[in-house]
Amino acid sequence: MLRKENSKYGVPMYMLHPGDYYVTDQKCLMGSIAGITAVVCLYDPGRRIGGMGHFIIPGTQGTEDILFDDISKEGILKIEYIMGEIVKLGGDRKDLKAKLFGAGSYPGTDNNPLTLSRSNITFLHDYFRNEGIPIIKESLGGRHRRKVLFSPVDGKVFMKLLENNMDASKFIELEKQYVDQVFRSGDTYGDVIMF
Amino acid sequence: MKVKHIMVIDDSNTIRMSVQHTLKELGYPITPAENGFDGLNKIQDICSKGEDVAMCIVDVNMPEMDGISFVKEFRKTDQFTPVIILTTESGSAKIEEGKNAGASGWLVKPFEPSALKTTVQRLIR
Ligand SMILES: [Mg+2]
Repeated sequence: MLRKENSKYGVPMYMLHPGDYYVTDQKCLMGSIAGITAVVCLYDPGRRIGGMGHFIIPGTQGTEDILFDDISKEGILKIEYIMGEIVKLGGDRKDLKAKLFGAGSYPGTDNNPLTLSRSNITFLHDYFRNEGIPIIKESLGGRHRRKVLFSPVDGKVFMKLLENNMDASKFIELEKQYVDQVFRSGDTYGDVIMF
Repeated sequence: MKVKHIMVIDDSNTIRMSVQHTLKELGYPITPAENGFDGLNKIQDICSKGEDVAMCIVDVNMPEMDGISFVKEFRKTDQFTPVIILTTESGSAKIEEGKNAGASGWLVKPFEPSALKTTVQRLIR
């Protein structure tokens, strides 16, 4: 994640790379570029707390119970990190709203882009339905990258579809590294500590 | 024989359901709760029906009452029933806090289903 103290918008600006997440109750902007990855924006408008997460679930086949499938754990974990920080700042999952971007499908990845895109979209829809968190806005799928700017304290989003990968060459490389790492780390789990 | 419940206390419905999914073959009734306070209330309901709690699986970051506060409250009346913390938190200070509150173990998310099942089987009686 890159932090720019004096952005042209007059507030601090956080640029999230694929795999990053960030939560705050301070006025700022968070930005990212979603390709085949998903950018999830969550905010509690009443308490003026919000966060963004950028991830992919390595789903190469459609499964029925996608939430219980092992491939979903990267997505569930990243959203859990965001939720945990929101709760620490006094927020409540019951008051959250979601805006979702990305999960694009286009050639150039090693995996079948359409099934990968579909798995990620299914995951996002199932997850937020399951949590009872309303999706206020979404722009998912299709052969686009999307540049997203998010204002966490009020949930406002500015999104631009990027044609021909313009402005995104650095992100394309970072996305590739992140996606490769998620696909490779299939069996990574948290520690078990007994007292 | 007394009915014994496994409490699954987490503010995420997805996590509650996946823990339930993982443990269903152990055959215990699973009682979900949304936060520590909700968990204590549901435990009280279970006990007032003459039933029992076999174990608690508890998240840390939850609104209303967090997991560490839950363990402290729960331990005021029950020193023996195992309590496993299941959380994204992995900092040593937090883990120490959980241990001091009286937790039996600490599992960091994402949990490996077989590791959770083994841990539960090992602790439960
Ligand atoms: Mg939680």
